[in-house]
Amino acid sequence: MKRREFLKLSATLTGAAMTVYLPAGWTPANAAEKKKVGFSQATTLEPWRVQFNKDIEAEAKNHPEIELIITDGQDKTEKQVADVENLIAQQVDVLLISPKESAGLTGVVEKAIDAKIPVIVLDRNVDTKRITQFIGGDNALIGKAAGEYAVKLLGGPGNAAGNVVEIWGGMGTQPAHDRHDGFHAFTDKEPGIKYLLNNQSGDWKQDKAYDIMTTALRNNEKIDLVYGHNDPMAYGAYLAAKDAGRDKDIKFIIGIDALPDEGVTWVNKGELTATFLYATPGAEGLRQAVKLLNGEKIPPVIVLPTMLVDKSNAGEIMKKNGL
Amino acid sequence: MIVLRLFSRTKLYWGLAIICLIGALASPHTSSGRNIFLSFNNLTDVLRQVSITGLVATGMTLVILLGGIDLSVGSVMGFSTIICAMLLTQPGWTPASIMAVPAAAAVAGLGVGFVARFVFHGLARGRDVDAGRRNEIVLGPWRGVRVPAVLGLACGALAAVGTASQVSTKFGVLAVLLVTPCVALALGAINGALIVAGRLQPFIATLAMMVSALGLGRLTAGQDNAVIAVYTGTNATQAFEMLRSMVWGILPMPSVFFLAAILIFGAVLRFTTFGRYIYAIGGNPEAAKLSGIKVAQVQLAAYMISGLLAGLAGVLFVAQYRQGKPDAGSGLELDAIAAVVIGGTSLMGGGGGLAGTFVGVLIFGLLSDILQLQNIDSNVQLLMKGLIIVGTVLVQEQNLGQLLTRWRGQAPPPAPALTGSVEANRPPSATMKSTAREDIHEAS
Repeated sequence: MKRREFLKLSATLTGAAMTVYLPAGWTPANAAEKKKVGFSQATTLEPWRVQFNKDIEAEAKNHPEIELIITDGQDKTEKQVADVENLIAQQVDVLLISPKESAGLTGVVEKAIDAKIPVIVLDRNVDTKRITQFIGGDNALIGKAAGEYAVKLLGGPGNAAGNVVEIWGGMGTQPAHDRHDGFHAFTDKEPGIKYLLNNQSGDWKQDKAYDIMTTALRNNEKIDLVYGHNDPMAYGAYLAAKDAGRDKDIKFIIGIDALPDEGVTWVNKGELTATFLYATPGAEGLRQAVKLLNGEKIPPVIVLPTMLVDKSNAGEIMKKNGL
Repeated sequence: MIVLRLFSRTKLYWGLAIICLIGALASPHTSSGRNIFLSFNNLTDVLRQVSITGLVATGMTLVILLGGIDLSVGSVMGFSTIICAMLLTQPGWTPASIMAVPAAAAVAGLGVGFVARFVFHGLARGRDVDAGRRNEIVLGPWRGVRVPAVLGLACGALAAVGTASQVSTKFGVLAVLLVTPCVALALGAINGALIVAGRLQPFIATLAMMVSALGLGRLTAGQDNAVIAVYTGTNATQAFEMLRSMVWGILPMPSVFFLAAILIFGAVLRFTTFGRYIYAIGGNPEAAKLSGIKVAQVQLAAYMISGLLAGLAGVLFVAQYRQGKPDAGSGLELDAIAAVVIGGTSLMGGGGGLAGTFVGVLIFGLLSDILQLQNIDSNVQLLMKGLIIVGTVLVQEQNLGQLLTRWRGQAPPPAPALTGSVEANRPPSATMKSTAREDIHEAS
């Protein structure tokens, strides 16, 4: 009896030791090899994209079983197409992609699907129904939230009045149009609200918005509200007003994005009145990819919620992000 | 006919006047009935807005006059904004200060050494001319090498110590203003060296620099900082605001730099041998080389100046927009080239001048301002700007007098097409030839 127990024990111990010391080649391939998740980022020149990459990298640290490969499309469609082709060649197990634009990248995404790689599309969608999942914020929804807030600031529904400057993002981009349409869905119902500018694009850039606002300030003696399609542009407009000594007259400057070290900081300082969170799909995208690798079923579309950031919660958000 | 020719020669200025007139007539008015376009504040806004492009276009003019082109200015400017913002906001040995200190030392050292040698050379020549000799000037080892070298080393060391002392704290305004252009100048020197020593086409060499300076800027900033924010008073020195203030309440600070650059380099082009060499090389590089002009040195210097001015523009960008970012100058090189071309400088080199560039920059800036005041759709604005470039250049290239005579049904005068304003800006070719001959002994 004793001897048999001893044998059993030693056998299990040896077995356990074997699993640890077994050379890599002996184990079944899928057990020890890390799963590869490829992520094709459109560009890393914008702060929002940088935050996006930070989010996905932070989430990847929670999943040691996967290997994350990030590529940077450098804001060029052709570069991003080449990136994705490269990831297909590396035989990634899941492809995450945040396309620079829809039309130019649809082809290569289909190529990945043809190569039996599941594709999760982040932020901007592509033009095919065959993708596994789309995750993104709803720009129209955020625009609506901003519009609702603007109406409230200007006197409430029914009697809102004031002169509004809207600074567009890139004219040819879907987010800019959605942010515009969503905002106007609310504000157009108010006869008292007047729009001072006609489709002026700041190209998402602080410096361009600054120059647009400088001229708008010369041209219009009364500006009540500035709506920027992102925070840097709203902030550029604020700086122009400040340099012209009129930042106190224009109380309401609204942006979108709410990055901790940009929009939230400016709101906290009282320079922007409010901003609306446009969450990056980085963390959620990787979580969904891991679920997919574990064989779980994932929904075809996930819409990330927005959040109003104003003076009341800005400080708290900054603390959470270590600022 | 004389009136016509005079008109044709000054047509660029008439273009500026017409744009101003259109602006004034079409301008909206304030509630008190004042014309917004003509208001003092609006005009200073325009001057400020064109200053960054203007500085870059000034350097670009020198390079284009040489028959070259500098595509890297936008990226170099963006790179400089990163260097400047980093020096202002981050103390210690950051990538920016690691690059800035040696660059400042090298520029100070080489610059002073070169100037010392130049002074000795000038003195020796003066003596020779007084004595009626016109021989080749050979400076001895003391005046030619040792004294300039010692002076250069001393100044380089001084600059190194001076800038390094700023590293432990954040850089001040003056330090940033001096050091950042030095780094940009170094990039310009690489451009020049590739073109001169590597015998690369200017287009290729500066295209390579355009791409790599963007990469370098992003590397310097680090992956986590697509944008480096500069908040004067909190994370940077309050004094930096000086660079966006109004000087005596009249001129915006950036435009002071722009006007100074135009005046200084305008004088250099018109009154110095260096300036004449630029025209000579641009007109005919082979002839210039055969007449003893050191083509390589002049080319190198021109690309260095272009880099230097791009760096200065970078500092002003940071001051105005409170941020440094690697892609700050994307598209700037094309704006600068457009301004130079509108100003009547020939892309083939050898013809044109800074007066034209100044007007070209102003035309571009005023046009933007008018379109913006008229609240014209951004997309239409782009279209209009393209049309203006084509329109002005058509008028520039075709001699207006010729055009008018052709309309009146007469045969065009036998003058070549490229006369008119181009000739007006260029030193008369006879003088140029004689100076080139005189300079043979001096340059060798």
